[in-house]
Amino acid sequence: MPRRLLSALLCLISLLATPLAAQEGPLQDLLQSQRALIEDSSRRTIGPAIDAIRDSGLDGAALVLEKWEAREMWQRESDGLFFYAEEVNRDTLHLYAFDGPTDLGEVPDEGFDQLKPNSGIRGLIASALVQFQLSDPDISRRRAALDALARDGNADHLPVLRAAIENEPDAAIRAQKERLERLLTIRFGATDAARIEAIAYFRGDLAVDVRAALNPILATRREVVAGEPPAGANIAAELTPGSETFPAEEAYGLLVSAGLAPARLTADAQRQALAANIVEGRVGGVPVAELSDPAARDRAYDALEAAGTVPAAATQSEVEAALAAHSFFDRYVEPSAAVTDAAEEALNSIELKLAVNQFIDLALDALSLASIYFLAAIGLAITFGVMGVINMAHGEFIMMGAYTGYVLQQLIPNYTVSILVAIPVAFAVTFAAGVAMERLVIRWLYSRPLETLLATFGISIALQQLAKNIFGTQARPLTSPGWLDGQLVINDIIGISWIRVAIFVLALVFLAIYLFIMQRTRLGLETRAVTQNPRMAASMGINPDRVNMLTFGLGSGIAGIAGVAIGLFAQVTSELGQGYIVQSFMTVVVGGVGNVWGTLAGATMIGFLQKGIEWLNPSNTLAAQTYMIIFIIIFIQFRPRGIIALKGRAAGD
Amino acid sequence: MKNSFIARNPSILIFLACLAVFTLVITLMSHAYGTGGISTSFVKTLGRTLCLCLVAIAMDLVWGYCGILSLGHFAFFGLGGYMVGMWLMYARTEIIVIESLANSPIPPTAQEVQDAIGTQIFGVVGSSEFPLIWSFAHSLTLQLLLVVLIPGVLALVFGWLAFRSRVTGVYLSILTQAMTLALSLYLFQNESGLRGNNGLSGLQNLPGVTAGQDAISVWFLWASALALGLGYLLAAWVVSGKFGSVVRGIRDDEARVRFLGYSVETYKLFIFTLTAIIAAVAGALYYPQAGIINPGEIAPIASIYLAVWVAIGGRGRLYGAVIGAAVVSLVSTWFTGGMVPALNLGFYRIDWVDWWLVLLGLSFVLVTLFAPKGIGGLFDLVGARMAPNRHGADYGPGKGSLREKEGQE
Repeated sequence: MPRRLLSALLCLISLLATPLAAQEGPLQDLLQSQRALIEDSSRRTIGPAIDAIRDSGLDGAALVLEKWEAREMWQRESDGLFFYAEEVNRDTLHLYAFDGPTDLGEVPDEGFDQLKPNSGIRGLIASALVQFQLSDPDISRRRAALDALARDGNADHLPVLRAAIENEPDAAIRAQKERLERLLTIRFGATDAARIEAIAYFRGDLAVDVRAALNPILATRREVVAGEPPAGANIAAELTPGSETFPAEEAYGLLVSAGLAPARLTADAQRQALAANIVEGRVGGVPVAELSDPAARDRAYDALEAAGTVPAAATQSEVEAALAAHSFFDRYVEPSAAVTDAAEEALNSIELKLAVNQFIDLALDALSLASIYFLAAIGLAITFGVMGVINMAHGEFIMMGAYTGYVLQQLIPNYTVSILVAIPVAFAVTFAAGVAMERLVIRWLYSRPLETLLATFGISIALQQLAKNIFGTQARPLTSPGWLDGQLVINDIIGISWIRVAIFVLALVFLAIYLFIMQRTRLGLETRAVTQNPRMAASMGINPDRVNMLTFGLGSGIAGIAGVAIGLFAQVTSELGQGYIVQSFMTVVVGGVGNVWGTLAGATMIGFLQKGIEWLNPSNTLAAQTYMIIFIIIFIQFRPRGIIALKGRAAGD
Repeated sequence: MKNSFIARNPSILIFLACLAVFTLVITLMSHAYGTGGISTSFVKTLGRTLCLCLVAIAMDLVWGYCGILSLGHFAFFGLGGYMVGMWLMYARTEIIVIESLANSPIPPTAQEVQDAIGTQIFGVVGSSEFPLIWSFAHSLTLQLLLVVLIPGVLALVFGWLAFRSRVTGVYLSILTQAMTLALSLYLFQNESGLRGNNGLSGLQNLPGVTAGQDAISVWFLWASALALGLGYLLAAWVVSGKFGSVVRGIRDDEARVRFLGYSVETYKLFIFTLTAIIAAVAGALYYPQAGIINPGEIAPIASIYLAVWVAIGGRGRLYGAVIGAAVVSLVSTWFTGGMVPALNLGFYRIDWVDWWLVLLGLSFVLVTLFAPKGIGGLFDLVGARMAPNRHGADYGPGKGSLREKEGQE
């Protein structure tokens, strides 16, 4: 036992002893040779030091740069040697020498200075590190390095990247590297020919980074020179002053800012000049009181000009002469015409493909909007479309479903389970509410449809306020399960979030359920019978009261499930349903009452229309809604019974 | 004079007398012209309530008498307010701008004044240009004309489109609701030229009037009472006589009236446009008293509340609409103003600011179910004007048709 203790002690001593020997080495020598620059630590001068470390070819060069960047490099004050260290606690460092690297054990931090490179220097170091990371054995570090390069690569990286392609074992990363090399070549290629070749490589490529690389090449600067535009300049377009896109005022403004012409007299400048020259209540002989007339102001200014008290301002004819004497043009920032031509050609080839893809993306957006409208409206298609009951509280049933989902999420922590539980529970809750409402209120009003509207509106405001009293006014989140996060990405343009896909699927499921219940079940048969002719149905042994109750409950229950789905992407507030009620009614009315295909058509039309109008006027969704409603009002003029109108006896009336 | 219009409708005289007495009492209790027993803000509330009564009369005319449940009449009300608000805002800003420019050494040109007003009014939406719709804002006469013209033309066009294609019943209700939604969404945009969701503000200051708010509030009360009285007379005159009979016939059975050879669409269009204009006038008087108008005021919910007032007051009788609007809006102010003591149930404290809407909604359901005649129905009991007992038999083909009262006439 004592022997083992002794050997351990010896070991410790030897560990403590070695550092003295291991402090010397090629890396330390290298660092010492650059010591002055490193200590100076200025972004302007540090370059050669970083380059020297990077190009040293030594094994530990990457380690030095990494530690330096991570602010883990320390310098011993006594002899100026560099180490890297981990801070064990406030006063103790765990020291390592770069050569080896060798563990030097824990030492007190007195006598050691931490090197603190500023963000500019760290950027330079990171850029130098890329070379090592690109061929790092760890695949994730290579990926990270490529991502960093894609964000802000510079000309120095190009040769490094090229060198790293050769030995890349992973095919995907190799392709990525090659692509990145092409992109960097577009920006930093040595010759125009190399750049044009790289540009041609990306013809028809939809990726955003390609456009981000090509668009700056086509950036222009508006310039003006006296006489003809300079020969050999890479000019995008010559401009004629006074044309629609280039008004004469703008042209003259350009002249003034270029210092090629005197400024025109603005109304403001004129007023100030006049105010500065008031002499005994008159300006240039014109009484001040008369100066509220622009003509009098001009006369006064002319008088001052003639007297030489104010500088001459450009007159209209001078302006015209100046415009004629100069040429205006948009000049590419990129000097080479061949490169800009190639970039333009590549962008044109991308554009058509881009337009097609954007159209598909827009159509997907519209489809998902349509399925949201369909979901919100399908319950209404039963209560309003089939039974003819105007239920203004339909929106509040949607809200109740959403709040049911929220409450269940508070009770069940697992989001997937809680959503799966929420769907039947929301159905049950709103089914019960619907049945209660039908029993208590609506059945007394079947012969007075307008009063049903008002009574259900009363219920609607009561329910809304009730929800506000219970849950408060702030929005409650209904969190979707993790597997619904993110997007289904088809390419850089086309992408659709999984929640929207789920809603689309849910809408299809609802359509199927609706069709099944209405066409294949006893309830559906009885519902249709009661709707068409309640007396005849009653004499056939159907109980119309019961059927009405169940049908209304079914419609309300579906609204509840729709509420869970809508709550997933919208904030759950007491006003959630209100926003959907008018749209839902319009969906049902536009589609055609009494027919679920009509509701589907109505929702599709409204969804696509709204997205289409938004596309025409992208800045303004409010305007899109306004125009859509106006369109619907006009549409109903031409098809008062909706897109798909019932015919014959089923139409009733 | 036995068959004169007034003699046949004694309720008009009673109503006008009540209105006159009400106005006189309030005037005598106001700060400006009386004892000061009523605060200026309450005078304003009463003045606004009179305007709401006027728009309720319009609603009763179009719904209670003509059977068109319009859920868009508050759009016309709001448009009337916007039209008057434009002049009020322009004229007042003009005075302020001219005052501030008067201090500059050089007198301003007309253009400079115009630009300064534009910057003042539209700075809040990041613009200084006057949109085209403000072209007449400088003139009170033109703008007052627009109060009638703009809502009138909108109602005419909308009504013509809707009635021509025979959109009736609940479809028409939803369509009118869509119209008011579209209008409010449009006005919410800054591009609409009416200051987006900021709306028009500072309307309580009459330009060029030095009198204080206490006097102005009474003037507006008078104006509102006058408008309400005239509106009541006009509405009563419209629904009396043969024209009124046809209009009620349309409510009860549109197809029969059409087969009798009447142009149903023209009658409906006339009533729809007329009521839109009445609503606009009411709005033009309401918003100077409210001081501010924004697009939220014409959201669909406001028009539904209008229907609620009329239904609670009693459809198909003009004084019912007035009573409904006055009672519901005043009680609503009373409850939401926090003036009602909270009810302590031991386990829960009912705070009426929170529970008032629940109460209103439920009482509305109860009125619809059990008292379709509304509050106005009480007058039948008082006046002993009971319908002949028909032993439960209906007057007409539908259960909702022909009120008992009309069966007697």
